[in-house]
Amino acid sequence: MLASVTSATLVGVEGRPVTVEVHCSVGLPAYHVVGLPDTAVRESQARVRAALLSSQFDWPQKRITVNLAPAGLRKTGAGFELAVALGVLVAEEQLAADVLDGVAVLGELGLDGSVRAVPGVLAFTDALATTGTKTVVVPEENAAEAALVDGIDVRAARSLVELCDCLTGALPWPDWTPFEADTSEAGDGDGDDAESVDLADVRGLANARRALEVAAAGGHHLLLTGPPGVGKTMLARRLPTILAPLERHEALEVTRVHSVAGRSPRGGLARHRPFRAPHHTASVGALVGGGSGRPQPGEVTLAHHGILFLDELGEFPPRALDALRQPLEERAVRIARVPLSLRFPADFQLVACTNPCPCGRGGPTCQCNEIQRLRYRRRLSAPLLDRFDLRLAVRPPEPSDGPGEPSAVVRERVAAAAVRQGRRYDGCRWHTNAHIPAGALHRSVPLRGDAADAWRWSIDERDLTGRGAAHIRRVARTIADLDDAADVTEAHVLAAALLRDDVP
Amino acid sequence: MTTTVELSTVERAAGVLANLSGMTPKRLRELLDRPGGPRAALDAQVRAHAVDEAAVAALLARRATRVYVDGEAGYPIDDTIEDRPPALLAEGDVPEVFDRPRVAIVGTRSCTPHGRRDAHDLGAFLAQAGIAVVSGLAIGIDGAAHEGALANGSGGSAGGAIGVVATGLDIVYPRRHVTLFERVRTAGLLVSETGFGVGPHAGRFPVRNRIIAALADVTVVIEATLTGGARITADRALDYGRPVLAVPGSRRNPAAAGCNALLADGAHPLLDPDDVLIALGMSPGGRRGWGAPPPRPVPIGDPAAVLRACGGEPATTDQLASRTALPPDRVGLALRDLSKAGHVERSDGFWWPR
Repeated sequence: MLASVTSATLVGVEGRPVTVEVHCSVGLPAYHVVGLPDTAVRESQARVRAALLSSQFDWPQKRITVNLAPAGLRKTGAGFELAVALGVLVAEEQLAADVLDGVAVLGELGLDGSVRAVPGVLAFTDALATTGTKTVVVPEENAAEAALVDGIDVRAARSLVELCDCLTGALPWPDWTPFEADTSEAGDGDGDDAESVDLADVRGLANARRALEVAAAGGHHLLLTGPPGVGKTMLARRLPTILAPLERHEALEVTRVHSVAGRSPRGGLARHRPFRAPHHTASVGALVGGGSGRPQPGEVTLAHHGILFLDELGEFPPRALDALRQPLEERAVRIARVPLSLRFPADFQLVACTNPCPCGRGGPTCQCNEIQRLRYRRRLSAPLLDRFDLRLAVRPPEPSDGPGEPSAVVRERVAAAAVRQGRRYDGCRWHTNAHIPAGALHRSVPLRGDAADAWRWSIDERDLTGRGAAHIRRVARTIADLDDAADVTEAHVLAAALLRDDVP
Repeated sequence: MTTTVELSTVERAAGVLANLSGMTPKRLRELLDRPGGPRAALDAQVRAHAVDEAAVAALLARRATRVYVDGEAGYPIDDTIEDRPPALLAEGDVPEVFDRPRVAIVGTRSCTPHGRRDAHDLGAFLAQAGIAVVSGLAIGIDGAAHEGALANGSGGSAGGAIGVVATGLDIVYPRRHVTLFERVRTAGLLVSETGFGVGPHAGRFPVRNRIIAALADVTVVIEATLTGGARITADRALDYGRPVLAVPGSRRNPAAAGCNALLADGAHPLLDPDDVLIALGMSPGGRRGWGAPPPRPVPIGDPAAVLRACGGEPATTDQLASRTALPPDRVGLALRDLSKAGHVERSDGFWWPR
């Protein structure tokens, strides 16, 4: 009469276990779904019924009530259908109830009884594993993804009939191919791009290259300004080639987020840090996430643990840019809708390019008058500009400049600097120099003698605000880390000051 | 406004006429030249158009606005100039600036730090020499020149400032110069030929520039683009037969292109502030302008190489690193030393040799 099957739904990018209860009683044949289902869940009746009939099971001529608990949670997607179908079979005693003990079920059904893949399996499995489920049954295509989670048995399902036989032990579970431990295939789609470009392509621009390296090593936000065609975008596009590799827990988060966004990982865990480059026509929702019903993660979340690259920053709508300020501060996005409030992770590094003025030349050859320049600069709000630790005016390289260091060399220095930071900030709330809170700065980055003098001089020279002074201190620490130096010296501080031009 | 100004009948009538709506210099000239003079012309206007003469006259009195009428005593512009304004409205505490030698310092709004510094220093130098600095109160060179002229304090032997605006005297444009406007009022005069309430209009600025050229005995162009208001001022000054001096600049600097073109056309090069005094017919004194830079230590080692790499022109850190082949750390140290010693300054992402 009554059956209960464990499944899961998505809240933001997190999975939540859901208990699917199916009750069949005498009465006029009917099918009700209760427990805040969305349209896709409500429509599941037709698919579940057709799938059962195609699989030579009976569809009971009874009053069927499907309850999705907890009742207060909004349920989305078609991932419950397999659980509902099994629930009907158990309630009608076509399947023994005990085979589902400790088993969670995820999957969408085809009309022919086949089991189809669903997005977000990694998030579902993660949530189920932490709530004590022993075994999870997922669509065959999702099996390798689910297996990325430790501490839970993954079983693959291909069709409803086969699944029932496997559950009762009449058939062995089908094999599935796990992800290979180390393939060169990138998990995040942008990888192929990252392989074909190299920092050696950039000629000259020693200071701009330094800025890129520092940004990669310390996680500092970077703003490049300069006339069109000097290589701002070229530089920024090469940032992924020198980034430190993802750590395992970061890789899991990145893969989960991308899985929820419907970009199922084909090559296993993400190995490369994401590099997202939305066009400047992007809306507020596209950048920070949103949408009615089931809010979707935006670019800032897809860039989690990676780079959000905004080319032509001045062309983005001011509303969209201002919406970035809160995620930059909190490293997460809060999206509030009437029934729920979501928190998407958004720990991204912001890299942006812009022209200094309408004519694009800037500096001594600019042809704009001061009012035009002022108006152009006003598009970028001061609070947003304040977030950039590194701001650099980029000009064309000198004719004599040769090719620079290749990415592989720089990447090693960056990785070593990341290790240094990891050791130093072990047990802290932050892990990179860019995230040292202002309150901890004096303790974390002590400056002595000449270094302190150079720091004070840098502040006085340009009348820096407290935030600007803090930026120089953090960047100096990263430069010292790249130098493999224990203490920040005068040269480190002055080099940091060089990475903060008074632009745009 | 603490001062009160006694206007003659003619001056008050001309002042009211200049404030009639839709008044143009040409129309005002026509009215003033009528038989019977300004008073009769105003009476005719009052009769024909129900002009509230008392209200405008009260406003002039309340603002202590001075009125200089062509042909009357005190009118500051020579009658050899064909298109001189028929009447000038002026407000400020030091009307004596009109009695002093007057030099216009003009230039582009999109100036470089070098140009800004030159304008400031020349303004200060001239004001110290007792010369009134005439300019248009625009952003950039104009503003810097007046800042320099006023930096020496007002009154006494200082020359003071004359700001010629293209709007009514009750309007501050650009708004950013609101304090500069007030300082010009206390140390000199604000001058306009338009009535109150006339806002900034693109077409009025070139017309205003002829007044700057006409008021000044010598016009100095610090930095000018090829097409711009400063070129217009200089051209008018040449039309009036007044000396024009221009500061030569690099061919790479678009803000110097206008000056270089003027020089090619026969303007005098301004290499030293004394050149202005000579152009005025004054004898150059022993004052120090920008001819002799303050003594500073000669750089050696890396700083010397970096300064050489600048080559007298602005350069980015990248360019300096490339030209010297030094690692950025050493360039940073060298630039700090150069900056401390006053050899370079930083602006807009560039290092500017001083």
